[in-house]
Amino acid sequence: MRYDVVVIGAGINGVYTTLELLDRGIKKIAIIEENYPGSGGTFRCATGIRASFTSREHVVLMKRSIEKWKELSKRFSFPFIQGGYVWLLSREEHLRNFKEYVRFHHSLGVPTRIVEPDKIKELVPTIKTDGLVAGVHDPIAGKSNPFTALLNVLEYLKKSGVEVRYPEKAEKIIVENREAKSVLTEKERIDAETILVAAGYGSRGILSTCGVDAPINNLPKHAMITEKYREVFKPLLVDWETASYMVQTVSGGFLIGAELEEEYNKPPMNRIEFLYTAVRIWSKYFDWFPSTHIIRYWTGYYVMTPDHHPILGPVKDVEGLYVSTGFSGHGFMIAPAASEAIAEWIVRGKPGIREAENLTIDRFKEGKLIHEIAVFG
Amino acid sequence: MDPRKIIICRCEEVTLADVLEAIEKGYTDLESLKRYLRIGMGPCQGTHCIPIVLRILRRATGKNPEELMLPTSRPPLHPVQAKYFMGGDKD
Ligand SMILES: Cc1cc2nc3c(=O)[nH]c(=O)nc-3n(C[C@H](O)[C@H](O)[C@H](O)COP(=O)(O)OP(=O)(O)OC[C@H]3O[C@@H](n4cnc5c(N)ncnc54)[C@H](O)[C@@H]3O)c2cc1C
Ligand code: FES
Repeated sequence: MRYDVVVIGAGINGVYTTLELLDRGIKKIAIIEENYPGSGGTFRCATGIRASFTSREHVVLMKRSIEKWKELSKRFSFPFIQGGYVWLLSREEHLRNFKEYVRFHHSLGVPTRIVEPDKIKELVPTIKTDGLVAGVHDPIAGKSNPFTALLNVLEYLKKSGVEVRYPEKAEKIIVENREAKSVLTEKERIDAETILVAAGYGSRGILSTCGVDAPINNLPKHAMITEKYREVFKPLLVDWETASYMVQTVSGGFLIGAELEEEYNKPPMNRIEFLYTAVRIWSKYFDWFPSTHIIRYWTGYYVMTPDHHPILGPVKDVEGLYVSTGFSGHGFMIAPAASEAIAEWIVRGKPGIREAENLTIDRFKEGKLIHEIAVFG
Repeated sequence: MDPRKIIICRCEEVTLADVLEAIEKGYTDLESLKRYLRIGMGPCQGTHCIPIVLRILRRATGKNPEELMLPTSRPPLHPVQAKYFMGGDKD
């Protein structure tokens, strides 16, 4: 059997791109997943969704994503809650920087604003704001549920005739006369008109089998969650000083991520100091936090590129080969817009959103890295 | 007995009817079933429910245990109060 499109990787990007292709009339699609759907970054993520970034490319794509999150969550009955983001700032210099970011957001229509500590207390009941100079509120940001956001769509794909193959590892992409021809898996050779690499942490490896060098590196990250509690606050919080975040997930647990020094491409390992770091940071803000029960601690990768922007679209030298990876920690939120862009590219030869054209893999060779006004969350 | 009244996962309140319906929909490995129903994601991390679901799945699918993808238990294996990570020597 020859497929119109073979997608490598059943994460949120592989799955959503398949949906967008189906919606455009492409029917013969196979998804190949080496573990189980969602097992990469997608099921490990905090589901933060926002458009308040510091490059035009990110802002434009994320704004489109937010529109699509609204549609998709309705169509596939999963939650998308626009509870906002609040950055907690404890230094004057950070506040000065954020004033500049807020101006940038406004120039692109993202309504962030600087808020006083009293307003933070209103947005985040029970928080202690001692030591904070201000906060920044992004009211259009939100959160979802990674499991139903992926699985409900996947169920629809299967019903529509998409072949979802797992566990099956893609081992090689076969290119002949500069044309992508087939994917060789551990089980068989699968022929395709078009091949999309949406393999998260495995993208660099599988692309290298056909001579394509993707400058991506996997950075270990840590996260934990408590038992479920009734809703205390809606926004995702970022302690800017430590770059740690906390969100009460739609299921009710408090999910926390915190920075530990890590080396690229090392297998992620559980480190007890993560729990100490996370608990210390958030116990300062919430008196009740020390009495919550931690039930799980896990690790995962941020799949990083040199300019912290994704790699999207066709590979110039290989006809029929497309890439959607390198999301640098933002691959969940951008998935609806990135998937739409890739599907448009495959079907119509252009991504629809012009800014996506700046994100192809060739930008690294051509020295056209994405410019940000600041490196930010 | 009515499968809607048989609780399989106490922590997340999932019934036998939920499990059978999910299997019917094609959730035939434990990893996917876990995310779809939240079975095994409660405070006991599936100590109580996963062995039962494993049996139901084996009967329904005829697959052997490794094909059913047994989920990883994440630390801490039992819920621990956050306050035990606040103090002292572990910097
Ligand atoms: C702790 C943590 C918190 C995060 N929080 C957020 C957040 O709040 N918001 C946000 O937007 N993002 C967040 N992210 C990032 C987000 O999880 C990822 O960017 C996103 O899930 C990437 O989706 P994907 O579909 O590109 O990749 P993945 O979900 O990783 O999917 C790729 C799939 O490809 C498969 N695969 C790999 N190699 C092969 C192969 N050779 N053959 C077959 N299959 C293969 C993998 O098994 C995997 O299932 C977070 C990440 C972590 C680790
Ligand atoms: S009984 Fe299912 S997680 Fe505890």
